[in-house]
Amino acid sequence: MLSILDIIWVLVIGIIVLGFIAVSAMFLIWWERKVSAHIQSRYGPMRVGWHGVLQSVADAVKLLLKENIVPAGADKLVWWLAPFIVVVPSVMAFVVIPFGKNLIVKDLNVGALYLMALSSVCVIGIFMAGWGSNNKYSLIGGMRSAAQIISYEIPLILSMIIVSMQASSLSMQKIVAAQAGYWNILHPNMALAFIVYIISATAEVNRVPFDIPEAESELVAGFHTEYSGMKFAMFFIGEYTNLFIISAIAATLFFGGWQGPVLPGAVWFLIKTYGIVFVLMWVRWTFPRLRVDQLMGFAWKVLTPVSFFNLAVTGWLLLK
Amino acid sequence: MIKLAKNFVVGTWSLIKGLAVTIKYFFRPTVTLQYPTEKQPMSECYRGLVGLRPEKCIVCYQCVKICPTACLAITHKQEDKKKTLETFKYNMELCCFCGLCQQVCPTSAIIMTNIYEISVYDRKKLDINLLDMKKYDEWTNTTIK
Amino acid sequence: MDATQTKDIYTEEFLINMGPQHPSTHGVLSLELTLDGETIVECTPHIGYLHRSMEKIAENRTYTQFIPFTDRLDYVASMNNNLGYVMVVEKLLKLEISERAKYIRVIIAELNRIASHLIAIGTFAQDLGAFATPLFYCFREREKIVEIFDQLCGNRLTYNYMRIGGVLTDFSRDIEEKIKKFIKYMRPKVDDYDWLLTYNAIFLARSKHIGVLSKEMAVNYSITGPNLRASGVKWDLRKDEPYLAYDKFEFDVPVGKNGDAWDRYKVRIEEIRQSLRIIEQAIEALPQGDVAVKVGRIHKPSPSETYFRTENPRGELGFYIVSDDSVYPYRLKIRSPSFSNLAVLPELVRGLKVADIVCVLGSFDILMGEIDR
Repeated sequence: MLSILDIIWVLVIGIIVLGFIAVSAMFLIWWERKVSAHIQSRYGPMRVGWHGVLQSVADAVKLLLKENIVPAGADKLVWWLAPFIVVVPSVMAFVVIPFGKNLIVKDLNVGALYLMALSSVCVIGIFMAGWGSNNKYSLIGGMRSAAQIISYEIPLILSMIIVSMQASSLSMQKIVAAQAGYWNILHPNMALAFIVYIISATAEVNRVPFDIPEAESELVAGFHTEYSGMKFAMFFIGEYTNLFIISAIAATLFFGGWQGPVLPGAVWFLIKTYGIVFVLMWVRWTFPRLRVDQLMGFAWKVLTPVSFFNLAVTGWLLLK
Repeated sequence: MIKLAKNFVVGTWSLIKGLAVTIKYFFRPTVTLQYPTEKQPMSECYRGLVGLRPEKCIVCYQCVKICPTACLAITHKQEDKKKTLETFKYNMELCCFCGLCQQVCPTSAIIMTNIYEISVYDRKKLDINLLDMKKYDEWTNTTIK
Repeated sequence: MDATQTKDIYTEEFLINMGPQHPSTHGVLSLELTLDGETIVECTPHIGYLHRSMEKIAENRTYTQFIPFTDRLDYVASMNNNLGYVMVVEKLLKLEISERAKYIRVIIAELNRIASHLIAIGTFAQDLGAFATPLFYCFREREKIVEIFDQLCGNRLTYNYMRIGGVLTDFSRDIEEKIKKFIKYMRPKVDDYDWLLTYNAIFLARSKHIGVLSKEMAVNYSITGPNLRASGVKWDLRKDEPYLAYDKFEFDVPVGKNGDAWDRYKVRIEEIRQSLRIIEQAIEALPQGDVAVKVGRIHKPSPSETYFRTENPRGELGFYIVSDDSVYPYRLKIRSPSFSNLAVLPELVRGLKVADIVCVLGSFDILMGEIDR
C-alpha cells in the first residue's frame, strides 16, 4: 500500500520533473532561435526580457489563448490524442536520466531498454496526428515519419547496446559509473557508436537534415499542419523535450554523464547536454534536408551495417 | 571500394566546411537593425509619399498627365490669366511611387518625401488632400532627417 | 494500375493541390499533382493568379508611362526589365544613346543580375531544406546592391531608373566607390556559398541528376538564360548578339554538363563571378559625358513593328511593339523567360519524388510576376 508520504513524494517529483521539462523546452526554443539568428547574422528575439529570454513565455501565453481549430472530417479521437501520445513518452523518459550522483527519479535496472522502448512510442503519436488530420500533406508526413523512425531505431538501439555491453549493465547509473575517469567517447569503437547514435537520434527527433516528416518546403508542416493553439504547443514541447533527452542520453552514455572535476554533478551534466544540443542546432541551421529514399538508404545501407560491425568488434574486444 | 572511401571522406569534409561557414558567421556581428527603434536612413532622393509645395505650383497639369496610375487630381480657379489651385487630391492607394511626377514638374512643386511607413487603419486616409499637409503629421514622426 | 498487385489490395492515386498558397511554389503558382505514394505521376501547373493584364495596360499608356509597369514584371530584376523595355523603344525611335549611359546601364544591369541570382540561390537552398541560413546570407549581400540602387534612384525594389534615351541620374563619386567596394566584398562571399552549399554532400545528393534537361529538349521548349546554359548550350545574348557595350568587356559564358538541378544552380554561381568581372571592367573604363539624350516625354513613332530581346537574369526578355500613329503603342507583347521555363516542368518531374518537384522548380528560378504579367 502507498502511504500518504509516498504519494506526496511522487507528486513532488512529478511537479519538479514537469516544471523542469517546461522550463527546459522554453529555454531550448529561445536558445534555438538565438543560435539560428546569430548564425544568420540576425538578432533573434530581443524584446521580451533580457535579449528576449521570456519570448517563449509570451509565445506560450499566445498559444494558450488561441482558438482550437478542428478540421472538418478529422478523426476526432485520434486527433485529440495524438499530441499527448507525443509528449507523454518524452516526459516518461526523464525517469531514468541521471542528473547527478543521487539526482535520478528511479535508477531502473533496465534503464537503457526503457529508453529504447519509449522512443518507439512517439512515432505512434506522430502517425496518429498525420492520420487524424484529414489532410493529405499530414498523411504523407505521418507515413514518412513512421518509416523513418522505425528504420533509424535499429542503428540507435545497436549503438546503445554497445555501451551497455561495455558497462555490462542496462542501468544508467552503472553506465555512468563505468566511465569514471575514462569517458566512453575516448574508445575508438565507442566514438563510432556515438556518431551512429547522434545521427540516428537526430532522425528520431525529426531534425534537419532528417526532418522529412515536417519538411516545410514540400509538405507545408507535415504531420502538424492542421494543429493550432495548445495542441501545436504540445508538439513543440515534445520536440524540444526529445531534443533535450537525446542529448542527455548521449552525454550519459558517451561523455561520462554527471562526472567531472570541481563543479557539482548536475552542472557537468547540463553543460555536456547543452553542448550536444548546441551542436545539433548548429547542424540544423547549416545543412539541407535529405530526400525520403536517400534517408532510408542511409539507415539500412550505411548505419545498420556499420552498427552491426561495431557490435561484433566490441564483442570481440570484450571477450579477448 | 577506394572510390567509396574517397567519396565518404570528400563528403564528410564538405559537411565540415559547411559547418565552418556557419560558425564563422555565428561569431560575427549581426547586420540587421532593431526596426521600430533603430531605422535605416533613407537616401536623399528616396521616393516615398508624394508631397506638395502649393506656393510653387503653376497648375500646368504635367504631373496629372504623366502619372501612369492616375492617382493625382487637380482642380483650379481661373482669375484673369492667373490660375490658382483649388484642390490637389492624391490617392495613395493607386500611387506606384515611380517618381515621374517629381521629374516632370517644372517648378519642383511636387516632391517625393521620404515617408515610407504609410500603412493606415482607415481606407479613407489613403485619399490625401495635398493642400492640407497637416495630413502628413501622423506620418511625420516616422520621417528621418 | 500495376498488374503485379493482388486484386484484394485496393490502391489508387491521389490528387494534391500544391499552391497557390504553399511555402515553396515561388509565388502564386498552383501545381496539381497526381501522386502514387510519394512518386509523381502527373503534374499540371495552373497559372494566372497574378494576372494584371500588363500588355493591355501598355496599350493605354504612353511609352514613358509604361516604364514603371515593367518594374512589376520581374520584380526581382526590375532594372533588367526597365532596360529591355527602353531598349526596344529606343530601337523603335531609332535613338542613339551616349557612351556613358551605355556603360552605366551595363553596370546597373549586372548588379541587378547578381541580386537576382542571389535570390535564386537562396530560395533554391531553402527549397532543399537548408532552412533560411543561405537565404539570409544571400539577402545580406543583396542588401548592399539595393542600397546602391536606393541611393541612385530612390527606391529599393521598383526602380524605374532607365529612361528612353538614357538613365535617370548620373553616378556620383560616392556610388562609384560603393560599387568598387561591393566587388571586393562580394568575391569572398561567393566562395562562402561554395563551401556552404555547392559542394556540400547533402546538397549534391539532393540536386545532382534531378530534373535532367537535355540539350534538345531545352532548345525545343525554348528555355533560355542560365537554365539553357546549364544544359550545355552556349547561348548568351550578351555574347552572341551584343547590345549596349557588352562587346567591349571580357567575360566567359558558364555552361553546365548534365542539365540537372545542380548545374542550373552552379551556372548561376559562376554568372555572379562573371558579372563581377564585367562590373569591374566597366567601372574602370567609365567614359565621361551626358547620361541622357534630350528627348520629349511624349513619343510618336511612325507605324512600325519592333522586337528586341535582352539577356535577363532568368533568360531572354523580349518586347514586341506594334506602333501606330498615336502616342500609345498599338500592341505590346512581352516574351517572358519564366513562362517558357515553367512549361517544361511537367516533363521533368514525372516519376520523381514529391521532394524533387520543389528542387526542380527552385532550380528553374521562375517568377510569377513575369509568367502571369
